[in-house]
Amino acid sequence: MDEISNAEMILVIGSNTTEQHPLASTRIFEALDKGAELYVVDPRKIRLTDFAHGYAPIEPGTNLPMINAMIHVIIKENLIDLNFIKDRTENYEEMKESVKDCTPEWAESISKVPAETIRQFARKYATTDKAMIIFTMGVTQQTTAVKSIRALANLAMITGHVGRPSTGINPLRGQNNVQGAGDMGALPDFLPGYQRPEWPETKERFSKIWGDFSCLRGNNIIQMFNLIDEGIMKAAYIVGENPVLSDPDQTHTIHCLEKVPFLVVQDIFLTETAKFADVILPAASFLERDGTYTNTDRRVQMINKVIEPIGNSKPDWQIMVEIMKRIGMDVNYKNTSDVMDEINEATDIYGGITHDRIREVGIQWPCPDKEHPGTPILHVGEFKRGKGLFTVNDFEFIGDQRSEEYPFIMTTGRVTHQYHTGTMTRKVWTLALEYPHGFVEIHSKDAEELGIKDHQPIRITSARGSIVAPAMITNRINEKTLFVPFHFAESPANRLTGQNLDPIINIPALKVSAVRIEVE
Amino acid sequence: MKTNKLYTLNKDSLDKVLNIWNEKSSVYVPVGKGKDIQLMPLNEGERTEDYINLTLPVKEMVFEQKEALFKWSRNEDTIEVEELAHKHAKNRIFFGVRACDTYGIAYTDRFYLQEFPDPNYKSRRSESTIVAVNCLKAGQHCFCTSVGTGVFSSVGYDLALTPMDSYYLVEVGTPKGQALVSEAESYFIETDDSILKDKDDLMAKVEESFPLKMDLTNLWDDMAKTFNADFWLDEANACIGCTGCTNVCPTCTCFNVVEEKIDEDHGLRVRYWDSCQISHFTRNAEYHNPRDAVARVRYRIYDKLKYIEERFGFKGCSGCGRCTDVCPTYISIIDIIGSIQKAAKNNPEPPAIHQITKIRHEIMDRELTSQRGLFTPDVATITRIKQETPEIKRLFMKYDDPELHKNYEHKGQFFQVTVFGEGEVPLSIPFGPDQTDELVFDFKNVGSVTDKLFSMKEGDKVGLRGPYGRAFPYDTLKNRNLIFIGSGVAMAPLRTVIEPVVKNSNDFKQVFIMASSIQYEKLLYKDEMKEWAKIPNISVLYALKDPTNEVEAYSGYVNDLLPDLDIDWSNTTALICASPERIKKVARDLLDLGMGPKDILVTLETHMRCGVGKCGHCKVGSHYMCTDGPVFNYEEMMALPPEY
Repeated sequence: MDEISNAEMILVIGSNTTEQHPLASTRIFEALDKGAELYVVDPRKIRLTDFAHGYAPIEPGTNLPMINAMIHVIIKENLIDLNFIKDRTENYEEMKESVKDCTPEWAESISKVPAETIRQFARKYATTDKAMIIFTMGVTQQTTAVKSIRALANLAMITGHVGRPSTGINPLRGQNNVQGAGDMGALPDFLPGYQRPEWPETKERFSKIWGDFSCLRGNNIIQMFNLIDEGIMKAAYIVGENPVLSDPDQTHTIHCLEKVPFLVVQDIFLTETAKFADVILPAASFLERDGTYTNTDRRVQMINKVIEPIGNSKPDWQIMVEIMKRIGMDVNYKNTSDVMDEINEATDIYGGITHDRIREVGIQWPCPDKEHPGTPILHVGEFKRGKGLFTVNDFEFIGDQRSEEYPFIMTTGRVTHQYHTGTMTRKVWTLALEYPHGFVEIHSKDAEELGIKDHQPIRITSARGSIVAPAMITNRINEKTLFVPFHFAESPANRLTGQNLDPIINIPALKVSAVRIEVE
Repeated sequence: MKTNKLYTLNKDSLDKVLNIWNEKSSVYVPVGKGKDIQLMPLNEGERTEDYINLTLPVKEMVFEQKEALFKWSRNEDTIEVEELAHKHAKNRIFFGVRACDTYGIAYTDRFYLQEFPDPNYKSRRSESTIVAVNCLKAGQHCFCTSVGTGVFSSVGYDLALTPMDSYYLVEVGTPKGQALVSEAESYFIETDDSILKDKDDLMAKVEESFPLKMDLTNLWDDMAKTFNADFWLDEANACIGCTGCTNVCPTCTCFNVVEEKIDEDHGLRVRYWDSCQISHFTRNAEYHNPRDAVARVRYRIYDKLKYIEERFGFKGCSGCGRCTDVCPTYISIIDIIGSIQKAAKNNPEPPAIHQITKIRHEIMDRELTSQRGLFTPDVATITRIKQETPEIKRLFMKYDDPELHKNYEHKGQFFQVTVFGEGEVPLSIPFGPDQTDELVFDFKNVGSVTDKLFSMKEGDKVGLRGPYGRAFPYDTLKNRNLIFIGSGVAMAPLRTVIEPVVKNSNDFKQVFIMASSIQYEKLLYKDEMKEWAKIPNISVLYALKDPTNEVEAYSGYVNDLLPDLDIDWSNTTALICASPERIKKVARDLLDLGMGPKDILVTLETHMRCGVGKCGHCKVGSHYMCTDGPVFNYEEMMALPPEY
């Protein structure tokens, strides 16, 4: 994170940094103070753009054409890092061929970003030594998620912006421990430490630690709900997640939650999802338990309990242990440190990270043993697979588009003072008072055409459903584009979003939904 | 405040002394590393001397971040209100407090303990003893010497220790401090004034070492000339509303008050630290927000550098630099001072009138009718209800305690009305001084609390605090022409004057009551107005958007009727209650007709929470609408910053 302060050029794509990752934006401001330049790509003129040297008002869902066009410009104008490409990568020629028609003019016709702006962004990125890319959901919650990220990797590799301080492509993680959860294998296709269940050495290792266990690839959340709908999945156990508000196509989500024969929800408060549960397990909050969180820096940090769990609530890990015991498993964890010992044994990247070592300052993985100090920068000298692989990422349009019936594109996102589905933040007075209810951002020109006044209730309808929210008229959004935050149960943005999925990893395109609006 | 006793205390003896003090009191000492320094109970952590300042100012010890004010319970027909005043606890000694924080406490003492004294602050403060330890080193953002509140502590301490070579120079500030010396007297060696020279030499050396030295002599002039400077937009663009600055500030005092429902029959009134840096701080019902992002960010700086001192005589900023340390987007009050001075030099505006006009600042000591605590309401029962218009109701009510009616004094302009379990809102007093055994309120259904009030029935109970606020100066109206202008429900605040005027109509010359609304049906007091019109020197004029057959009405704006009034404008007082825009339009026409701005009276009702000049929500410039107002004359109104 601190490398951001030393960057000379920062390209922010699909991240509302000052409002969602303010401490990352603190470091952006530090860099700006030292003379760095900031370039922002976003369909809304987010607050960060007030400090930017370049701004690309991109049409939602069209990151990939713009990134490919930037690569095209850099290759055409010979701004590539030839040495890096030669020494550390493979497949460059195939990738180069794939972007030969991705001109800025072509990209402009799709993304609405002026061709000159694309050139400006490309040139600045290529010719600055310490150039960093920062991205979040604006890039990933799209049908082009995987391809866009691979294209960003291409972009970083052709200019040698990898494996050195203040470079790289840097996703800012959202939940405070989403990195940690993924590291521990809370994913359908990885065991802890990103070890694949298909590899024989993985199976052997975990059989030794856990005994016999299933190595079948699991299902992601979209697949799980579809399996429920098909009657194949008979039970669901949801921990600290509120799909009724955060999953796409709320009508489908609710239908599945009603249909599944047995539903357990484990959470700190009674959420909209918990209301459908057959069994509710009250979990303890962050103040009532200890353990570790792993942040976007790959830094594993201690959290410390300060109060006893309230009422009957228990820390998540204890609930899990209690269930394991009742299933008849032989479990012996007395505290979270015991669990950490097992993590050390089971994963190489966390091999040397123990509670004692991280009481004061966390350690960044990979950290294979107890003497290792941790790893601040990845891919130094060599990529994990050896040489970096250039990939071909052709843009094809999948998903909602404007039509006569649905002439607007709605994109979703967050506000500063609310967090995700508001389970915690809507219960805190100051935060709840700052944003007591949802809203829909609409460009003043569109509002005028439709006779919409500020704060007026507007009905927004997509092919999936309909919600009502008060209008917020602004000029900080593209025309024929709307923005709805997803925190508010009474105007749930995800009732409108659909299951337009990235074909490779199934992430839904929450950022692009075709809708129509009318005065309510 | 200063007594003359001076002592020396050997540095090696300090721990022994702290332990002696810890027998009768709870001693708190600085514990921690780097920038993470907290006051912790002695022996619960290792005391450190290696720190610039505490992370949070000592105000957190006497003004808690969250506290319950009262508890209410419904029992069939009655509601009981139990005041949750802070209970007496063991005395606490806060050791290691820096000059900027002792100054802060001296200010918060002035703020919370005068006018309407805050009972919880008073209680905690009386149980706190402050032992300052003076700084020998400045932090990166320290500028107490530029402001004049440091580097050595001069107010707010019971004892002040200055570290010399092998000993502390100990200065006694109060009898409480003297008592501490007595408790461990064998360690304190009395000394005389000659030692003060060494102290002054040391102080000069430390002050010289400060990296930040600013000349703030002309700051108020500079601020008056740069109210609309360009740089404010850059600062406002950076602010993300995290409220870090106000949380760490030794002179921030604002809070919000909310109902916390336990269940249908039980609840708590709670207050918690609030911040003017968050947008809903001044937001009214129906989205009107008198401060935009620029006004919000600018307000904090003006309050700290100017408004607090104008009003209370204490510097509003003690130069501790914490706000600058903590801001995630690098908004710095130090840089802003520089920007103000630079803009004043290079690009000054004509001084803003609201920054240079001296308007009323009298501090009135208020006595309350009720014996209850400042924030605890008295219970009243609704006796009658009348529907005035589809959106406006009239509630008649009586205090459950008849003594309160006996002792009732008619003063003030509004009450704070509690709907138990929902919240509290200010409602204007529409009734006259003769009405002492039944209180009446006319209100419109605009938000969640008035919505609940609207659905109440006879026998239901509410809570009342008040009366508060400065009312119309009835006695100055005698023998003058009077014009009352009110639109819709805004007639209610005027009615409290209209009623005695109508009863004593011979005391006044020509009286015009001008009611405006969209439709006749939406007007308040329709029947009464017909009665008032029968009195010889009283005329009632209607300005309506939609025509009606009920009365003769002018179709258009009320201003249009003014030129036709054939009166001596120099002997006229106008009383206006309307939105600020309408007030200004009407006032301009009245001034054109020959009225003086002191004779135009208005009520400015902003977002109010406590009603007693403490929570800060109604503060406009250096004035509190709830205690300095809501009634002002037009000249005073124009001297307020346009943030209402």
